[in-house]
Amino acid sequence: MESLTYYVLRKIISRAIVFYIILSVTFIIPRLLPGGAFAYLVANPNVPLEMRNALIKEFGLDKPLWIQYIQFLKQFSTTGNLGISFSRLRPVSGVIMSALPWTIALVTTSVVLSAIIGILSGAYAAYKRGGKFDSTMVSTIMFIRSMPSFWLGLVLLIAFGYYIGIAPLYGAYTYGATYSNAFEFIEDVMGHLWLPMLTLTLLYTTGYFMIMRNNMIDVMGEDFINVAKAKGLPERAVVFKHALRPASLPVITALALDLGWSIGGALLIEIVFSLPGVGKLLYDAVYMTDYPLLLGIVVYTSALTLTLVTFAEILYAYIDPRVRLR
Amino acid sequence: MTSAERGWRRLRVVNYLEPLYYILLKNKRGLIGLIILFIPLAMAIAPQLLVPYNPWKTVDKPFLPPSPKHLLGTNDVGQDIFSELVYGARISLFVGFVAAISSVFIGTLIGLFSGYYGGVLDEVLTSFTDVMLLIPVLPFMILLAAVMGQGYVNIIIVISIFAWPGVARLVKAQVMSLKERLYVEAARAIGASNWRIMMNHLLPQLLPLLTAFIVLRIGGAMIAEASLSFLGLGDPTQKSWGTMIYWANNSGAISSGLWWWITAPGLMITVSVLGFTQIGYAIEEYVNPRLRTKV
Repeated sequence: MESLTYYVLRKIISRAIVFYIILSVTFIIPRLLPGGAFAYLVANPNVPLEMRNALIKEFGLDKPLWIQYIQFLKQFSTTGNLGISFSRLRPVSGVIMSALPWTIALVTTSVVLSAIIGILSGAYAAYKRGGKFDSTMVSTIMFIRSMPSFWLGLVLLIAFGYYIGIAPLYGAYTYGATYSNAFEFIEDVMGHLWLPMLTLTLLYTTGYFMIMRNNMIDVMGEDFINVAKAKGLPERAVVFKHALRPASLPVITALALDLGWSIGGALLIEIVFSLPGVGKLLYDAVYMTDYPLLLGIVVYTSALTLTLVTFAEILYAYIDPRVRLR
Repeated sequence: MTSAERGWRRLRVVNYLEPLYYILLKNKRGLIGLIILFIPLAMAIAPQLLVPYNPWKTVDKPFLPPSPKHLLGTNDVGQDIFSELVYGARISLFVGFVAAISSVFIGTLIGLFSGYYGGVLDEVLTSFTDVMLLIPVLPFMILLAAVMGQGYVNIIIVISIFAWPGVARLVKAQVMSLKERLYVEAARAIGASNWRIMMNHLLPQLLPLLTAFIVLRIGGAMIAEASLSFLGLGDPTQKSWGTMIYWANNSGAISSGLWWWITAPGLMITVSVLGFTQIGYAIEEYVNPRLRTKV
């Protein structure tokens, strides 16, 4: 078995290589576009002349490709900069950094909530397998999983926002509102965010429920469960003490491996609810063909996903040493 | 056996008829899927028989609510939404089908090569597959779609490029167990080339499973198309369910409470995805009967 330190190192190094490849791909793609890097980075009528000249110098756009590549890597590694957003005339990194907290808050809250709901309801459904709760849950989840995520958001928005009128139609806070203290601000934000969070929690729960239910069914067939039953332990104790723990472990792996997908779903939901997160930036970048911003979003969301996935894998390797067996 | 009969057998058409009966009519989920898919398929096959109006023509005042004259009202330029919905089926299903087939094709090739050859090639292909499974696919798809420009062929290409990794992983696992079988060794012993073993001995064994993969992936591809169209990356010259939602959302359907305009196309996507998934599961159950015990 590998030692934990070795495992952690190996994971971090391989993820760093992956990130480096992604970074290089985002270097190449704009240079394949008609007009090349020059057109992509600076030849936008929105960009003022001084900024244009500064950009050419900063990224060495008048120099050969390999020098541009070195400049590009140097720029990114020292300042995290990837260029100037056409539509906002600010460095891409700054634009994304100010939007990222919204996305992270939305994703983490919904992931944690849905993991808890998914694990508990999945375990209960497996325990009462074939019963009323189980069959209702399975068919509801089949239905939700068939929906485009953004459409579920739109339907909930029009239902709760327009017809029932208990959720705002857009934004994460009231525009132009002043707050006397932090609690008022949090209250306002929660009043706006509960529906997007509910939507995402619904979407994420479907996956965790199915994984948990199937794991639980497998675990319930194992010998140690029979032993626990044979000892005369009450059914409930067997299910919720002995079976729940081993069955919920793989949910962590699923949670980690699905993060890329989860973040993608969150971006779409942000667009539906016009939240000021990365999703909104993505929409604007597509709308205004702001390539530097689009590339920046790809790089930063990849970095975020890779970090979180690696972290989850290390956590898992710590909890369950069997993963470290080569 | 006549040469025509041999040809049919080679194409496995005859061999498919019996499974088809078990999958679509005998299996409960398959039958449900077939019934669910009846409406979307009818819309895609013969839209001209079902629509009251030309979906491209302005036929009435804009933003009309549903009425007997316009079942789902009219859109922002006075086109009949129900007619748009019927015509939208063709593009949405077409993109779903073609993208699913091509992504399974790519995944199968990669899984086949990495599982059969092993070694360095396998290491490279497998780590590539792992990376593709890890990255946040949506931003990458959007980037590629934005760079390639609007158009349905481009959307199909973009979806296929990012949808194959799951297939590659499953195919690789299958190939690794299949290649140890005696008949493969026998083929190798009489001097069959690697290519021949893969194409004539391994691939036919995988076909039933690949059919399930394709059907199961149509839904995902349809949802991906809808998501890209929702972001304004769809083909502006065509009507699909995704672009309909895009136009509804951008014409203020939410803030004016025009729920029918938003709901109808999304419901059609949901129903189609559900139908394909059910049939996909039915095929999987037929191919691998052990699955039957679980649900």
